Order: sequence, then C-alpha cells, then structure tokens
Amino acid sequence: MGLAPTPAVPQERPIRASTKAARRARGPEKPNYGSAILFLLPAGVLLIVFLLYPTLYTILLSFNRGRNGVFGTWVGLDNYTRLFSDPDFLNLGTFPPSGALWNNVLWIIFYTSTVIALGLVISVIAARVRYEALIKAVVFVPMAIAATALAVIWKFVYAPDVNIGLLNALLSVFAISPISWLGDQAVVNAALIAVGVWGSVGFATVILSAAVKSIPNEIIESARVEGASERAVFFRIIIPMVSLPISVLAVTLIVNVIKLFDLIYVMTAGGPGTASRVIAFTMYQQAFQAGQYGYGSAVAVVMLIVLIPIIVFNVRRFRTQAVT
Amino acid sequence: MVRSSRFLSILALVALLVAACGPSGGQAPSTAAAGSTITVMSLWGGSEQDSFQKVLDAFKTKTGVTATYESIRQDYATTLQTRIASGKPPDIAIIPGIGFLRQFARQGSLKKVGDLGIDANALKPNYPPGILEVGQVDGNQYAIMVKFNSKSTFWYRPDKFKTMSMTPAKDWDSFTKQLADIKAKGQTPLGLGAGDSWTLTDWFEEIYLRQTGGPDKYDQLFSGKLPWTDPTVAATVDAMKAALNDNNVAGGIKAALGRNFTDGIGQAFSTNPTAVLYYEGGFVGGIATGQTNTALKVGDTIDWFDFPANKFSNSVEIGGDVIAAFTTKPGVKEFMQYMTTADAGSVWAGTGAVLSPIKAVPASVYPNDLAKREAAQVSGATAVRFDGSDLLPSGGGDDMGAALQDAIQGKTVDWAKFETAMQAKWKAEK
Repeated sequence: MGLAPTPAVPQERPIRASTKAARRARGPEKPNYGSAILFLLPAGVLLIVFLLYPTLYTILLSFNRGRNGVFGTWVGLDNYTRLFSDPDFLNLGTFPPSGALWNNVLWIIFYTSTVIALGLVISVIAARVRYEALIKAVVFVPMAIAATALAVIWKFVYAPDVNIGLLNALLSVFAISPISWLGDQAVVNAALIAVGVWGSVGFATVILSAAVKSIPNEIIESARVEGASERAVFFRIIIPMVSLPISVLAVTLIVNVIKLFDLIYVMTAGGPGTASRVIAFTMYQQAFQAGQYGYGSAVAVVMLIVLIPIIVFNVRRFRTQAVT
Repeated sequence: MVRSSRFLSILALVALLVAACGPSGGQAPSTAAAGSTITVMSLWGGSEQDSFQKVLDAFKTKTGVTATYESIRQDYATTLQTRIASGKPPDIAIIPGIGFLRQFARQGSLKKVGDLGIDANALKPNYPPGILEVGQVDGNQYAIMVKFNSKSTFWYRPDKFKTMSMTPAKDWDSFTKQLADIKAKGQTPLGLGAGDSWTLTDWFEEIYLRQTGGPDKYDQLFSGKLPWTDPTVAATVDAMKAALNDNNVAGGIKAALGRNFTDGIGQAFSTNPTAVLYYEGGFVGGIATGQTNTALKVGDTIDWFDFPANKFSNSVEIGGDVIAAFTTKPGVKEFMQYMTTADAGSVWAGTGAVLSPIKAVPASVYPNDLAKREAAQVSGATAVRFDGSDLLPSGGGDDMGAALQDAIQGKTVDWAKFETAMQAKWKAEK
C-alpha cells in the first residue's frame, strides 16, 4: 500500500520554550525575527515551491480547459459539473452506486475497518502465545514488499488459469470453476481491497500490539479478579484504552486510501472497463493520458477537499494533546 | 525521461558533428534537408523495431536525413502526452489510437500534413478508399496510416476440418450451424481470450460491419451519431451470444473472461489444442506460428477464411497505426513523404512484420502466403473501415469491452446508460 505509512506518533509534550529561554536569558527578552526567518527559510522555500505553488496552480487549472497543462480557455465550474455528471467518477443512479469516488468510499469502509480489526485481534491473541515474535514477523513481512511487487504477486495469485493462479487452483480442488477475480466488475473491488488489507495488516499489528502492551497489567488483572469475562476485558478495557492509537491508525489508513494509486495501476489499470478506478487513478488518466489537465486538476481538487476534514481532525488532535 | 532526452540531444549533436566533419557533397543524396536529424517515436521494440529500423535506414540512404528511433515500450500514451505538454515532443510519432489522434490534433500539438508542404489530395491515388480518412480530424489530414492488419480474418485448423469433412462457413447462419456440427462431432469449436476485452469489441465490430449494421451505420455508431440504443446493437450482441456461449467456447465463458488473447490463440493452435477455431485479426498468424507453436504449417494446421458474417460482404475491418508530425523541422516533411511511397512500404512489408496500405506495394514483396492473401482481402474490399473501438473517445473502447464482457456472461447491458456515458465522452473531447 503506497509508501510505508508514517505512523503519526503522538508527540511528547514539548518543553515549554519560555522556560528554556528564561534559563538562557541574556538581559531583556527580545524575539530575534531575523534568525527565525533565516532558520525557517529553507523549509519555507521548499514548501512554497513544491507544495503551495503546485496546489494553487492546480486549483486555478481546474477552472480552465488546461490543455497541455497551460492556461487557455477559462471554463468556470465546467470541469466540476462534468466531473459530477460523469458516471465513471460517481454514479448514484444504480444500486449499489459505482464510480471512482464510490470505490474510494468502499476502500475507506472495508479496507480501514478490516485492517484495524485484524490488527487488533492478531495483536491481542499473539500476546498470549509463546511464539508471538514469529506470528508478528509473518504478518509484518508484506510490509517489506514494495507495493508494485505486491501487486504483481497478487496478479499471479488471482490469475484465472488454474495452472498459474493459486486461488483458482484451490477452487479447482473443490471442483469449482475458476473465477476471474480481476476481470469481473462485481468482484474486482473486493479482490483489490483484500490485497490492500494483506499488505497493511502487519503495520496495524505492530502499532496496536505496542499499544495493547502499554495497558498496565494491573487494570486487566483486577478486571479479571472482579469477574470480567475475556470478552468484556477485550471490548470494555482493551479497545477503549487503545482508542487513541486506533484513531491515529485509522487516519493514516484513510489518507493512504484516498491517495491510493499503485495497486490499481499495476493490477487492473482501473478495469475491467472503469470498474476499479479510484480518484487518484482518474486524475492520472484524465490529466496525463487524455491530456485534459483542467479536468484532471478538478479531480485533484476534489481529492484535496476530501482530505481536508481528515487533516483538520489530525491537526486538532495533536494540538489538544500538546496542551493536555 | 530527462535523461533519455538529454542522451538524445547529445546523440543528435554527435551526429551533427560527424555530419559536419564528413566529406561534404560527394555521393550524399541531394535533398535540401540532407544532414539533418529527426526523432521518430513509437512503441515498437524487439523484432518490430528491427523491421522499422530497416525503413529508417532506407530513408537515410535515400534522403541523407538521419531518423533516430526512440522506443517507448510502456505507458506510451502518457509519455507522449507528457512530452508534448513539456514542450519537447518528438518530431514524428506513431499515434496510439485514433482517439489520441483527435486529442493531439485538437489541442493543437500536431502539424497538418498540409502545413508540412505535402499536398494531401495528391496522396489520394496512393491509397485504397478509407485509408487516408483514418488520419483525418475535423476534415484535415493530420496523420497517415503506415501499417495495418485486416480484422476480418477467422483462423482455423484445416487438418481438423478435413477429418470432420467440413469446409469453412461462408455466411453467418451456416457458421452458427457449423458450430453445432463441430460440437456434435465431439470437438469444442471456439477458442476465446475475452480477458483482453478488445477481442470482444472486434467480434462485435465484425458482426456489426459485415452482418447486422453495414458500413454506413458503422460509421455513424462509432462517431457518436447513432445511439447505442439502436436495435442493430442489441441484434449484434444477440448474434455474438449465439456463437460465444458455454457450449461453443472451450472451457466455458467464465474461464474465457480471465484468459488473455495469446492464450486464446493457444486454445486452437498450441501443441495441445482444445478448439478448432479462433477469431482475431491478421496478426494471429505471426503470433501463432512464431510463438505459440513453431511446428504449425500454413494451409495444413493453420489458415484463415473471411469472417463468415457477409450480408455486407465487401466490407473489411482493419486496425493499424498512423504517424503524425509534431514539428516542421527540416527532414520531417521528407520523412512523412517517404512513408507514403511504395519504396518505404515495400521495405517494411518485405520484413513480413506489417501490411502496407500503399497501393503500389506489389504483392510479391510479402514473404508469405498468409500476408499476401490478407493484403488482397483488404485491397479487394469496397468499404474499408477502421477498428471502431479505437475510434471512440478516450476510455470508450474499455467501456465497450466491459459491456460486452457482461453481455456474454448473460448479464443485461443497459445500452441507454451506456449511450449517455458515451455521449459525455464525445462532448468532453471537443
């Protein structure tokens, strides 16, 4: 799944700058703007050149026809109205809905929840057995595989030819005729999500296992002494106590899903037809293949808008943590 | 990309220096552009590239212009589009599909043939009807078709037909009857690699062009003028289903949906065949005899007959590649012009890699009988039509393929919805 997700580890409580400054105070405190700007400059310039400028350019371009990536005809909201009337992007007219945006919703719901659930279950169960390290190592191995390699491996697993495809070979043992996992519009998204899950469970397990271990043993012990069932311990003690790492994990996974591209590109190229396209793939296809940079930029802006609430949530949480 | 273009510019520089240092005049051909260097970009590699290189070499001998070949094997369309957007297009490129031709032409990236100083009207007598039109966008000649294949070829095993004492069917009704006969004689008739959905769009186009719709409706359907709700579309799908079903396709439809096109060829022509017929274009011959099974013998274990739908029997469907110019650098005009000559066509066709659309290329240059007959099939047709799914706007061919994959599984295709989506794509292209 994408780049190895960077775990959003909650920051340590920062040392109060003022106390530090006071310790080193040389006479009256006077903010030194000059050196502050100097220190901020390298990062600031990089951010402006590689983040701010492209973002603004993309937003502007999304209101333009933007053929070949240069500003030509201004079309107002045309790209957006087109985008939301494009059944390949979002089609609410059928049940279940379809389209790239809807596929991302499917990914967010099923991928995120499955990864967290499996990660949690594996970390809790593994903690109780002697060969915990082995289990964790096995679950973690897919994390060490590059996403493209992962996609290629699973292309083989899903191959419809029973002499190549592991999954269909297994089915053939039970005399079930082969299923075209990546060639059937009804199955393809589930098959892709399964690959995503396989690739990310290790990450979830490592994060959650550390969190579960950090729960003080006395709490769990005393609950058991008080007669709490194992179920109750899991649902009423473990889960609430690791809710913060879970939410951190969920945010990381959701961000990964919204920018998801590599798996789709390698495994199905958005097919069959357009059945497995996601937002990022649509952006790539429209801008860089169809040459409709304005339209592609509109897709990118939609992607940005979808990401904003998650970013806001994340920043807020860090801020509250910093003060408590 | 940056590295390769830098490499190329160094190469170009070296070439210029060498040219400058070399003996001036002498036996060098006297073209105005002689000594210049142009780049030609395409997606061919391997033996296809070697064949094309022969054309480039012949071009150099004739004009003194060096054409450097640049092969982009993956993400060709993306690479080309990005190169154009960054202002560094190749001088000449193979255009990967007619949807892309329209895209590049309408965004103003391509040079019209007329802008290069070539009179498009003067080219007309060189080509059979229908060939030059493929390279036109909004009435202007932007590109020229340089190689093609017939898509109206149905491949079969003559040996198996002989043991069943059958001859290839000549029309659609006797063809469907024959499928049942083959089945009755204990063989499975058809191979199918429907995982590559373009094989299904080709089936559709063949039946539509030659049986259910005819060339005029074909033109309208694949230019967005005839809606997909037209009864001819449903009739074509029904005809397809009469042939492509679990009874007739070796291994059944489900398995076929996961099989790619080359494995489909293998079903009929591998050393261990499970089918006796396989439909796809003229290129099947080369793949089957070159890769699938080198022991195949033309006329004995592999051969083709005209696609048996023949209500409009004088129509032939083709697929092919067009080239177009992105610059007007010296040498570009010469190259485009050269590619319309019988010389270029003969050199290229002589390698056995391609069929040349140029009329004056003699049949004798083709190194084998299969190619000779394929060329004759096209030159004998009164209506030559280009692969319809390649004419659809970007993404349209994939959608059509996916719809047909649904159809042969027995799912109902909502053609009204399909039409709405397709119209949106046509509109987006303008």
